[in-house]
Amino acid sequence: MKLKIGIYWGAACGGCDVAILDTHEKLLEIADKADIYLWPLATDFKYSDVRAMKDGSLDAVLFSGGVRNSENEEIAKLLREKAKVMIALGACAQGGGVPGLANMYTREEIMRRAYIESESTDNKEGVVPLERSTAGPGYDLELPRLYNTVKTLSQVVDVDYTIPGCPPASLQIYSALGLVWDDMLPKKGAVIGAGDRALCEECPRKKSEKTITHIYRTHEKLPDAETCFLEQGFICLGVATRAGCGSRCIKSWTPCRGCYGPLDDVADQGIKMLGALASVIEPKEEAAINAVLDSVVDPLRTFHRFSLASSILRRRKE
Amino acid sequence: MTFEPKIVGFLCNWCTYTGADLAGTARVKYSPNVRSIRVMCSGRVDPVFVIKALYEGADGVLIGGCHPGDCHYLEGNYKALRRYLLLRRILPEYGIEPERIRLEWVSASEGERFGHVVDEFTEEIRKLGPLRIKESLFESMKGDLVHHDEERSAQTGEAR
Amino acid sequence: MKRIAIDPITRLEGHGKIMIFLNDEGSVDNAFLQIPELRGFEKFVEGLPVEEIPRVVTRICGV
Repeated sequence: MKLKIGIYWGAACGGCDVAILDTHEKLLEIADKADIYLWPLATDFKYSDVRAMKDGSLDAVLFSGGVRNSENEEIAKLLREKAKVMIALGACAQGGGVPGLANMYTREEIMRRAYIESESTDNKEGVVPLERSTAGPGYDLELPRLYNTVKTLSQVVDVDYTIPGCPPASLQIYSALGLVWDDMLPKKGAVIGAGDRALCEECPRKKSEKTITHIYRTHEKLPDAETCFLEQGFICLGVATRAGCGSRCIKSWTPCRGCYGPLDDVADQGIKMLGALASVIEPKEEAAINAVLDSVVDPLRTFHRFSLASSILRRRKE
Repeated sequence: MTFEPKIVGFLCNWCTYTGADLAGTARVKYSPNVRSIRVMCSGRVDPVFVIKALYEGADGVLIGGCHPGDCHYLEGNYKALRRYLLLRRILPEYGIEPERIRLEWVSASEGERFGHVVDEFTEEIRKLGPLRIKESLFESMKGDLVHHDEERSAQTGEAR
Repeated sequence: MKRIAIDPITRLEGHGKIMIFLNDEGSVDNAFLQIPELRGFEKFVEGLPVEEIPRVVTRICGV
């Protein structure tokens, strides 16, 4: 019996969908094992088709992207009804992802910048999108409400499993789908298609004692070829990030920014990173500690690069 | 009704908690606003505890540890200091006054001093006012769920 | 007026819908393309360290 699956996106970039395509010839195996009932990137369907489906008729739905307007939330809830298993696919669905950084601003600030203030925008009349608009008699047009706060998938529906990453490694998506068609899914709530421990376990660089006396921005000095980035003074979120990506950024000489999300039982990936970084700073005396911390640039958005919407505080307080 | 700050105190077992205990047995009079949580060392205080306390309704968080050099586990209090200083830098980015968290070294014999620290911190928080993070977050998210029909009356309805 | 909704449009990156309005004769009176999404990159990149920008703006589109 072929699986019936659906693939959908909220406030997404399409990267998770491309990661599925990037399984290359394994896509043929996926097509063998599953019928894809909806996948806006690659096939045609309409929301009316989804509404007409029987509840629970899809074996699994992979939902990428965050929830940042009322349509994202409405379709997330609709798909939750139609799916036996709801899987959060990628960093945005898991933690808000990069678009979660919008939680540092308000809806008004974002609308103003996007439609009125930005330098390449010519909009002297100050036209902004409206939720209910009539272009004339008889034309009834609607747009979803843009939320002030980006939400994760689990903040709006019951999520069964999460495949993390930005994007998740293609082979990891394939192996996670394998758990679905082999009926070998673990306990509900698990992260699948990734490891159990921090990226450090997977990372090829040499690690020893960490005693940081200065933090360097990635352009401020050349890293050496072998040593742990954090030990060299570069902020690397690997200590607070789940393994499973194959250390692809590390192998490209770039420190980790946490896209594979937190480890199990971590309430706030970014604050965990804060604690980890502070723990390995060398000085013991306030002035000297502050001198090192002065070199930490933009801590909130660095520690929470992919996870701001899922952090305990979720957003900048207004 | 004056605002009564709710302060969560993570107090280290060997020094500050014992000092607070002494304040009690010595009948020191001081503001009752701190809810004490005993930890074995100030270095045990995960910054997540502090953020969670603020989120769940604390108006301020006090961390109490041994004086530098006196830590029962040798260097735990230095770890606490480093984490505290980084937390103070991140709070304003969240829109929260950094003065809402405070790290204080209080030894087991400093019962009176513990009372003074609590009095002083309570008044500082009283001046800052209630924090109410969860309330303001849910207020702002409630606004996200306004129905289209209610919205219609608030808009001119002019389309382009 | 009768309205035909094409929602969502597919086989591209992003969200969109097309609303077609028919007059009484059944001919197309007007059609509108609507984009029901905005993430706000223009705003939230403000203040990010410049060397971090390449890894942030690449998330505008993964295709």
